Formats: sequence, C-alpha cells, structure tokens
Amino acid sequence: MGARHWLNRLTPYLLLAPGILWLLVFYAYPSIQMFISSFWSGTLETGFSVSLDNWTTYPDALQRYGPQFGRSIVYGAAATTICFLIAYPLAYTIAFRGGRYKSLLLFMVIAPFFTSFLLRTQSWKIILGDDGILFGPLKDLGLLGPDFRVLATPTAVVAGIAYNFLPFMTLPIYVSLEKIDTRLVEAAKDLYAGPWRPGGSLAGGLVGGLVAGGLATAFQYEVAPLAILGVVSGLLIGALFLSESFIRIVLPLSLPGVFAGSLLTFIPAMGDFVNAELLGNTQTRMIGNVIQSRFLENNDYPTAAALSFMLMAGILVAVAIYARLLGTKELTSS
Amino acid sequence: MTEIETRLAAELTRRRFLQGSALTGFAAFVAACGTSGSGSAAPTEPAATAGASEGPTTSEPAPAQSPSTELNFANWPLYIDTDDDDPSKHKTLEDFTARYGTVVNYSEVINANDEFFGTIRPALEGDQDTGWDIVVLTDWMAARLIRLGWAETFDLANMPNKVTNMQDVYKGVDFDPTDDHHAPWQSGMTGLGYDREVTGDLTSLEAFWTADPRWSGKVTFLNEMRDCIGLTMIRSGKDPSLATVADLDEAIAACQKAVDDGIVRAFTGNEYAEDLVSGNVVLAMAWSGDVIAKQAEKESLVWQLPDEGGMLWTDNMLIPKGAAHKYTAELMIDFVYDPAIAAQIAAWVNYVTPVKGAKEILAETDPDLADSPLIFPPADVLAKVKIFKSLSEEEETEFNDKFSALLGD
Amino acid sequence: MTASTAVAPHQRPVTDRLIRFIDRNVLYVYTGFAILYLMLPVAVMALFSVNDPPGKSNLTWHGFSIDAWLNPFGVPQLFDVVRTSVLVAFISTIAATALGTLIALALVRYGFRGAGATNVLIFLPMATPEIVLGASLLTLFVAIGEPPFFPTNFLTILIAHIMFNISYVVVTVRARLYGFDRHLEEAAMDLGANEWTTFWKVTFPMILPGIMAAALLAFSLSIDDYVITSFTSGRTSTFPIFIWGSARVGVPVQVNVIGTAFFLIAVGFVALTTILQSRARRPLPPPAPDAARAEPESGRAALTEVEA
Repeated sequence: MGARHWLNRLTPYLLLAPGILWLLVFYAYPSIQMFISSFWSGTLETGFSVSLDNWTTYPDALQRYGPQFGRSIVYGAAATTICFLIAYPLAYTIAFRGGRYKSLLLFMVIAPFFTSFLLRTQSWKIILGDDGILFGPLKDLGLLGPDFRVLATPTAVVAGIAYNFLPFMTLPIYVSLEKIDTRLVEAAKDLYAGPWRPGGSLAGGLVGGLVAGGLATAFQYEVAPLAILGVVSGLLIGALFLSESFIRIVLPLSLPGVFAGSLLTFIPAMGDFVNAELLGNTQTRMIGNVIQSRFLENNDYPTAAALSFMLMAGILVAVAIYARLLGTKELTSS
Repeated sequence: MTEIETRLAAELTRRRFLQGSALTGFAAFVAACGTSGSGSAAPTEPAATAGASEGPTTSEPAPAQSPSTELNFANWPLYIDTDDDDPSKHKTLEDFTARYGTVVNYSEVINANDEFFGTIRPALEGDQDTGWDIVVLTDWMAARLIRLGWAETFDLANMPNKVTNMQDVYKGVDFDPTDDHHAPWQSGMTGLGYDREVTGDLTSLEAFWTADPRWSGKVTFLNEMRDCIGLTMIRSGKDPSLATVADLDEAIAACQKAVDDGIVRAFTGNEYAEDLVSGNVVLAMAWSGDVIAKQAEKESLVWQLPDEGGMLWTDNMLIPKGAAHKYTAELMIDFVYDPAIAAQIAAWVNYVTPVKGAKEILAETDPDLADSPLIFPPADVLAKVKIFKSLSEEEETEFNDKFSALLGD
Repeated sequence: MTASTAVAPHQRPVTDRLIRFIDRNVLYVYTGFAILYLMLPVAVMALFSVNDPPGKSNLTWHGFSIDAWLNPFGVPQLFDVVRTSVLVAFISTIAATALGTLIALALVRYGFRGAGATNVLIFLPMATPEIVLGASLLTLFVAIGEPPFFPTNFLTILIAHIMFNISYVVVTVRARLYGFDRHLEEAAMDLGANEWTTFWKVTFPMILPGIMAAALLAFSLSIDDYVITSFTSGRTSTFPIFIWGSARVGVPVQVNVIGTAFFLIAVGFVALTTILQSRARRPLPPPAPDAARAEPESGRAALTEVEA
C-alpha cells in the first residue's frame, strides 16, 4: 500500500523524465551555450574568448540591424493579419456550415502541408513570374504595365509567409468555433439580435481602412487608393455579414482560437527567412536572413547569437503583451 | 539531352577568332597584372624536372600507399563533364574509377564560398574530418583556408602531372608560394550576361547603371563581393587589383545608387542563370560558363566581356585538413592534370583550363572547341580582365562587412 | 422594422432576398476560392512534374512528358536524400510521439510540482524561431567535438528532429486528453482491471486517434524541415536541403515527381485511415468537462478505495 502510493507519486515524474531530459539536453542547454557565445569576442583566426565586456555586441547588433528587425515585425504582423482575414471566414464556414463535409474541408486545408514548403514556394515563383501564367496574359491585355512585378518585392514575401502559415491560423480558430454551442446563437436571435447594419458598417469600414492602409504602408504602395478600397470593402462586409450575434457571441468565444492561431503564425513568421530568400531581394531582408548569414556565411557567432536572443526576447514579450490584451492567461494550453 | 550537346558544340564552333598562342598570352598578361606581389622563385619543383617536358607523365602510386575505396569530392554545379542523358555520370570520374578502382562520391554542394566554408568550418576548428577529401574554392577562400592552416600539404611526389602541366601563371601565388596546398581547377571570367532578344546587344558595363526600360528592374548583380565591386570599379575606371578602402566605398555607393534607381532587382549567387532562362532577369553580372550552359534552354542568352573589362577568378582544389583519403585525393588532382582528361573536362565545362597541353589535345578532336576564346582566351581578351587584389585579414573583414551592409545582411 | 419612408412594395423584398441570398451563399463561394488558393501551388507542382524542359530549369511549361515519372530517381543523389528524409522522419516520429505522449499523460493526469515549469519548457521550442533552434544545436555539437555527434551527420539530424517534434506531440495529445471522459476508466477499474490493463485496453485505444494525429503532424514537420536540418546535417543531405540547393541551378523535374508522390501517398494514407475509422467507430460518450479536470484526485481516490 505504501509502495503503491509512492509509485503513484513518482509516476508523473517517470513519465516526464525521458522527454523532459531530451528537451533539457538538446534545447535548454544549447540555448544557454548560445547565450554565452553572444559574449564572445575575437575572430575565427585569432580565436574567441568570453568576456562580459562584450555586452556591447547587443546594442551594436540592434543598431546595425534595426531595419531588419523592424521589417520582420511588420512583415510578420502583415502576414498574420492577412492570414486572419482569410482564415476566419474559412474556419467559420467549416465550423458552422460544414455539415457532413467538415472533415473533408479540414483535410483540404491541411493537405498542402503534405508537400514540401520549398516546392510550394518554388511553385509560387512560377505562378508569380514576371511573364508567367498569371501576369503574362494580364500584361498582354494591357491591364498591367510591362514593369509590373511581384517577385522580389515585399508583397511576394508577405504573401509567401501568409500562404505558408494559413493552416496554422485556420485550425485553432476552427477548433474554437466548433466548441461554441449553437444554442447560444439561437438564444441571441430569440432575443432579437439581428443584423448590425449601422454599427457593422462603421466598424467594418474603419477596420477595413486601417488594415488596408497599414498593409499599403508596409508594402510601400500608394496608401490613399488602397485605404479607400479597404474602407469600401470593410463597409460592405460590415453591412452585409456582421450580425449582433456574431459580434457579441461568436467572436468573443472564438478569441482563444484566434489567439492561438495568431501566435502560431506570428512567431515563425518573424523568424522566417526562406520566403525572403526565395521571393525577395536586398530590401526585404528579414532578421532571419541576417542571423543565417552572420552564422553560416560570415561566421560572426557573437552577433548571430545576440540577434537570436533579441529575437526570442522580443517574441516572448510580444506574446506576453498579447496574452494580457486578450485576457487569455493560459499560453500553453490549446 | 543530346540536343544540348549539339547545340553547345554549335555555339562554340561559331566562335572563331583565336590568333597566336592563347596560353602564353594568358601567362604573360596575368604575370604582368600581378597576382602575387612577391617575386616568385623558380616555379618548377625538383621532382617535376625528372624526365618530363610536355605531355602527360603518369607515375605509379608510391608502393606504401594504395588508393582508397572511396573519395569524397565537393564541387560547384556544372563544373565537370556530365553525361547528357544521365546527369549522375561523369566520364572523368568513371575513368578515374577504372584506373584506380576508387568510387568517387561527387557532390555539387558548393553554391557560394562563404556558405560552404560555413559548413566545413566547425569541423576544421575542432580538428575533425570535414567529410570531404577535395573541395573546390575560389582564390580568396582558398587563401583563407591555407592561412588558417586548414589545408593539407600535398605530397608532390604523388602529383607529377600537376607539377609539370600546371600553367606557369598559377605558380608561386602569394597565398601559396610553394604550390603545395592548392591546385587550380578552372578559371573563369565575369561579365555581362543578357537576353539579346529583350535588351539588344550590350557591350558596356554602363548598361548596369542605365535605367533603360528594357531591363530596368530585371537586372541582378552578384553577391560575390570581388565580382560585384570589381566590375563596379572597372566601370568607373579603377583597377580592382589595387583596390583601396576608398575605392570600396565609392563602388558601394555606386551599387546602392543602382539599387535606389530601381535598376537592380536582387543580388544573387548563381541563381541568376535560372532567372535568365525564365525571363525574370534579362541582364546580369554573369560567369562565363554559366550563361553558355543555359544557352541550350534559351538561345538568345549571350555572355559578353564588357568593353571596359571584366573580372578573372580561379577556383582551386584543396584537401581539407584531416581528410580521410588524402592520398587518393592527390591521385585525383594529378589525374585531372593529365592533358587528355583536362581536355575532356574543358570541352564540357566551358571555363578556362589551367592545364598545359589540353588545347593541343582538343585541337585534334575538336578544333572549334580549341579555338573557343572562353576556354582558351586569346591575348586581347586576357588583356581586359582583372584579378581582384589579394586582401589581408583586416581588409577582408572590412570589405565583407561593408558589402554585407549593401546586401541588407 | 417599420418603413419610415415610402418604399415601393416590390423593392424591399428584392433587396432583402438578395441580401439573404448573398448571406447564404457567399461563404460557400469564398470557401471554394480559399481552398483553391491553398491548393494552387500543389497543383502547379504536380503539373510541372509532367513538364518536359529542355534543360535544368523547370520554370516554364514546355510540353507534356511522363519521363520523369518513369525515372523518378534519375537525378544523382536524389534517392539517397529521399531515403534519408524518410528514415529520419520515421524514426523521429516514433521517438517523439512516444516521449511526447508520456509527457502529455503526466501533465493532464497528474498534479505535480513543476507542472508550470514543464509547460513553459514545452512551449519554448515552439516559440523559438527555427533558426535559433538549429544554430544552438550546432553550437552544442561543435562544443562536444567528438563523434558520433561531430561532424554533424544522420544522428544529429535525428536528435534535432526529435527535439522539436516533442512539443507539437505534447500539445496535440494533450488536447485530445482534455476531452477524455474518465468515467470509462473508473468503470473498468470498478470491474476489477488494474491500472496497467485499464490503460492499455481502455485509455490507449481511445486516445489513439490523438496519438495518430500527433504522429502524422510530427512526420510532416520532420520530412519537410529545412532550416533546423540545414544547421545540423553537415555532409548528409535530406530532401528539403537538396531542393534548396538545386533551386539555384534548376530544380529537376524528378523533384516535383517526388513531391507529388509524397502528397498523393499522404492523401491516400489519410483517406484510408478515415475509411477504416468510420467503419470501426463507436461514438464516444459526451465528455464531461468539469469532471475531467477534477479527475486526478478522484481517480486516485477511487483506486485507493478499491485497494484498501
């Protein structure tokens, strides 16, 4: 009886042990080592030495690569926003209107995941080629100027990132939405919740304008026309599709899913460098590109390590703030 | 894929303007240009003079050692003769296997010097085997490897071919005065690569700084510092072999202007070749052999040495320290310095071969190839190409750092 | 809704009907477009696997040809890298799923000190950019400096993949465990089964779908990983690394073939399991959320009662 009890107390630790040990040895310890290496000084040829005086690596790196950091945040946020805009209606449809086809639809959302993301990005390169299947005919028809291009611009990079992480945004939102008891929505309707035209239009227009304007600034397009486009489409969507029951019931209840999805999208998006490498150019370099080149090409370990830690710290801070804002304290449960 | 072979041959036969001995012209020019500041001693090693004039001499392997069962050879893409139907077959390597019984694990994993160096550096730092027996690196990276003591010293007794047949111009370079740490693989030139159909015929570097609507926004510069800055300096009338920090700053400012003017689309490694074919890029700073190789896929592609001049560079074979099969690697290096083998490689690769006697052998089987100015550049071509200055460690760090900033890294 | 101003009688119904029509159908249309958008690159990839380019670049359409499908490994090294990728994915999936499931069980079923810290440790790798994960692992292996960890090779790739997969497995299995009804377990134990039997005969089969989902996720993540693998692979090459390298000079058509084949195999696999599952499925009892959370204590209490 005593032995049994003792075994019970021990069981969780026994279960945890192998996995946690693995993470400690191959995640925690290397991370600490990385941190130490950010205090190295010296070169490849003269050898490296550790010294606390080298804390200057951090501000130096931040100053030199500030633009890339900023860019990563902007692109990450833009990609996350786009993902959210695309994914939410999609998840909503699958959850509430999916019926028999829910699993099939979900599967089709995940299916692209089954192929190499490098190959998919390469496919985008083909599709978005200057004279490719998409733009070639448009240019021939005169709808686009001959100088128009999407590849090697910020648009291509953000579009690539958004595309890659779409399933990450869709699934958590879907999971949240699916858990909502539809009887709540019915009850709201019974209590005269109806279309939310004036408020919806206003809110929609505002949000649409802000989002479009923000994206335009991020991509360095003309802000005015895109912002107007945003306002108009926001207005239409707000007027036609937002209802009180949606705003007051469904949306708030789906927030945990939105939160999880945004995290799962924003975090990797900030550290991404593949899209910037394949679809961008020197003006779209993100912090991930810098870390990779500092590490692998310039062998500048201290700077690379410092940048990595600043990136991680930034992400954790952003996650904490976001958690507070949305009131979701449980970061770690799904 | 035999189409390519015939098209390649056809392309090359169209080039007919070799006069005089291109090889001596090469030697004279490069010696004058001065790869090495220091006066080199008598280039021939004692072992080489033993009974050899021209022509291949192959010696028996030293009795104490025998070739290993495998050899790990890392190289750049499209840099060795390849069977047109089966890209995994390379006649040169098969010949080597036939001779020595060694299986050659040939990997085209090198796409950029810095990148590849980054992959072998950890092992070398830790005194470990990198896993490669032969690596092929450009001059300045080879210099760095040797400087760090990470290149094995050749046992020249195992490489009589190399000692005898290596072009004199490569002998006694400043980063390897004793010629026993590196062996040139191929040399090449950097110039204009463009799509004639879109841009018309271009002959001047000025095209890179002209916002002509035909190519503005579809231009790529190279992300190899020496090629990019070198060409920029040539355009402004400076000599890259005497590059100073002031020259560097000026060149970087010029490149930045081209970027700001919207002319330059991106800084690339050899990806520009793919983009030239797909049409996303119509003008690029290009390496001679690359463009020629892609002509099979797009006939209108042209490689042109600019009027103002171009860059010349050399890729070299080195044996990384701690290599498992050093002896066999030496055999391989020696093997490719056999003029017959060198001719075989040169015919496919379209770059400048460092091996004496290859031209003569090629002239017997394919006189048009032997006349190709790309493989055997004539004196007037050679007179216009420059080699970038050999930089010290501090200079290299500074140059690289500033160039990285231009690249956004 | 009162009509304040005079509106022609037949106008209002039309606009209302129109709005309602749009309301009903636009979402479906939108979903259709969204799915199309998601699948587009996959379709292009499959299309270009039957392309017939004259040279190495596979960026423009030249004509139909199944040559690449007939000779999928015609490109040098392609077979080796694919084999390496599949092996790594396979082994790391098994290991990570096992380790992760154990952790998930511990976290959900048992209260213990350090649960919060464990949660953080599980979460951190997912929050860390892949590039940092890869770089720090490489630093570790360099520091060890001895075989079998250095120079980096198959083993180090495996270690890295298991490491980053554990977190995803834990999260997936845990989600499934939360909704799990403990009453069945209690019932089994009431009927005399001991913990071990209960676990294997009752619990495990019911969380198996969650474990399978986690395994599938881990497999996909592993087989598609480029960033972390590029740091820890050294001379060994995996499929994504091969693609990256060949993207510079021209991705061979065979690579598209392999990619499409992977996709079809994965789709087929999922389709198969779904069919099998729907045949064998017995509906789970509805979960009782509050009861499930309070389980650990009552479960053990029930057990000790039985034992006493």
